[in-house]
Amino acid sequence: MAISTATKAATDALAANRAPVSVNAQEVHRWLQSFTWDFEKNRTKYPTKYKMANDTKEQFKLIAKEYARMESVKDERQFGSLQDVLARVDAAKRVHPKWNETMKVVSNFLEVGEYNAIAATGMLWDSATAPEQKNGYLAQTLDEIRHTNQCGYVNYYFSKNGQDPAGHNDARRTRTIGPLWKGMKRVFSDGFISGDAVECSINLQLVGEACFTNPLIVAVTEWAAANGDEITPTVFLSIETDELRHMANGYQTVVSIANDEAASKYLNTDLNNAFWTQQKYFTPVLGMAFEYGSHFKVEPWVKTWNRWVYEDWGGIWIGRLGKYGVQSPASLRDAKKDAYWAHHDLFLIAYALWPTGFFRLTLPTAEEAEWFEFNYPGWHEHYGKIYEEWRARGCEDPNSGFIPLMWFIENNHPIYIDRVSQVPFCPSLCKGASTLRVHELNGKKHSFSDDWGERMWLTEPERYECQNIFEQYEGRELSDVIAELHGVRSDGKTLIAQPHTDKDGKLWTLDDIKKLNCVFADPLKSL
Amino acid sequence: MANYKIHDNPVRDEWLQKIDGLRTLAQGAAFLVDFRKKYTTPLRDDYSLELDWGWIEIKIEEKVAMLKHHELNDQQFLNNNTCGANAQQVADAVVAKMAACTDKYEAEKLHITFRIENKPPIMPVNVFMDTDRILGTKLMELRNTDYYALSLEQLRKERGVKVIALQS
Repeated sequence: MAISTATKAATDALAANRAPVSVNAQEVHRWLQSFTWDFEKNRTKYPTKYKMANDTKEQFKLIAKEYARMESVKDERQFGSLQDVLARVDAAKRVHPKWNETMKVVSNFLEVGEYNAIAATGMLWDSATAPEQKNGYLAQTLDEIRHTNQCGYVNYYFSKNGQDPAGHNDARRTRTIGPLWKGMKRVFSDGFISGDAVECSINLQLVGEACFTNPLIVAVTEWAAANGDEITPTVFLSIETDELRHMANGYQTVVSIANDEAASKYLNTDLNNAFWTQQKYFTPVLGMAFEYGSHFKVEPWVKTWNRWVYEDWGGIWIGRLGKYGVQSPASLRDAKKDAYWAHHDLFLIAYALWPTGFFRLTLPTAEEAEWFEFNYPGWHEHYGKIYEEWRARGCEDPNSGFIPLMWFIENNHPIYIDRVSQVPFCPSLCKGASTLRVHELNGKKHSFSDDWGERMWLTEPERYECQNIFEQYEGRELSDVIAELHGVRSDGKTLIAQPHTDKDGKLWTLDDIKKLNCVFADPLKSL
Repeated sequence: MANYKIHDNPVRDEWLQKIDGLRTLAQGAAFLVDFRKKYTTPLRDDYSLELDWGWIEIKIEEKVAMLKHHELNDQQFLNNNTCGANAQQVADAVVAKMAACTDKYEAEKLHITFRIENKPPIMPVNVFMDTDRILGTKLMELRNTDYYALSLEQLRKERGVKVIALQS
């Protein structure tokens, strides 16, 4: 049938001028880009060596309406699973006790990272001039708020539904006691929000998110599932779905400064420092959390590290940025050495300092020791024998009157804290690459464990003013510090931290610790 | 040796009493700048308040801010340092010095001294923040140029540190 003239006229008119039945999201995005400002007269609040280009694009082009719709679906799936099926099958009680303790640290510390990422991306929003780039950062700010809540919710869920809630329920006030906290603040807080805005983006997006969220947020879900934990994968994989956009934001930050003269002068230095900052903490801490904080093993940390940090990130991801002049960090080779032994070195110290934690630690069982020796030949000779000695001295039993910190003192193995990373190390015991160097400036002594960090401090000493636990607690008795910083359970005397996860094992109290008369001493004072 | 509690301790109590005795803005501002010079930043040589200086500094700043609120009018509040000097002129002078500076250690001193002498509530926030950004940007540029040009040994010497231990 021939189309009538009137119908044709109407059809043609509609084709030329679409009736406003709905507005395409991408049209809205294009419209938003017309909200630009005169940046000649505008300025950011934050210092940076770089100038971000005014015409930078972003890859995801999200608008608030689409964003909210997408995230609400994810939240419904996640909270629906947690509150319905996982609660009904008692999932939190099926988690292996060792892994339950690990999640006290992982989720709480990641919460801090997400919280600081809110500020970091807000800062980047302020620093960028291109409307599209701002839009990308803004979506990330919203993501980080979501992730902060999610991480807090994991600890809340475990404390409400799981086993041994102490530590899950009050980590925000007890996490500061031990030495792991300050190093985490260095990477997750200072690294993300202090100094040059672009360097912060490199720390957060180019290194933190593109490099370490794979091991941190993805690998952790594999280890969790292997150890009976269905809660962590439910939440962390939902978080990870947003991370891709964050990696893209990091990529676009580099694109935005690619033509700036400053990039050729500073970018690779900033990247190297950012990588070293992040890896110095994450390489040992994640390896320790996975291998020593689990019963069922997935794969040796060194393999995970090689695949995701060295090959995927250092090779492929950074390789893609090569056309913008970005090079793989020179410190990557040194980091690779740390990926083999550093986490074993750290666990020795972490276990020795167990009373300062907000979680329980466990010595490797015979079966686990076999796994360690198989995957890290030489492990037993160096570490395994020490654990056997500690166990023989009754380190798990409060009646023994022995905590492994005493072994370090008896055998003259002083523990130092690296001023830049705040990571503890024992130069006379470590198999990793750390070496001791101590400097005095204006009458104050500082210890360091590697060349890269030492250079960062020599260049910018005011950034690393943080006192370490030996300076902070010097002269104080251990149980007194624990009591002041709320490291006890609801009975007011039993420690949250314990050196075992045996449900029938005796729990240490403040009195047990007091009997040992352990007094903090700053090792730098004796040099 | 700090054998006392972290949050409530005799050192903080002693300083609270001193702060309580501050009665005028001029007195408070001078007290604050003097405290910062003696006990804060890597330029200091007195580490006796190492654990508490941050907390004490904030308490002095709180007191100075209150004294400022009582003594200055709105116009002065936005435009003048606590000593009465025009804030923008003070800032411009430091920015000019920094612009002419080519030595990173000199630039570091300029920036740290600017913060000691002007960090709010001494200088109005609106002037301080932007000046701090400009100074910080220049300092970062100087520090990051030829970052690896010197060996660690040379860098230690330049920084003026005394090497206590070096494990080979």
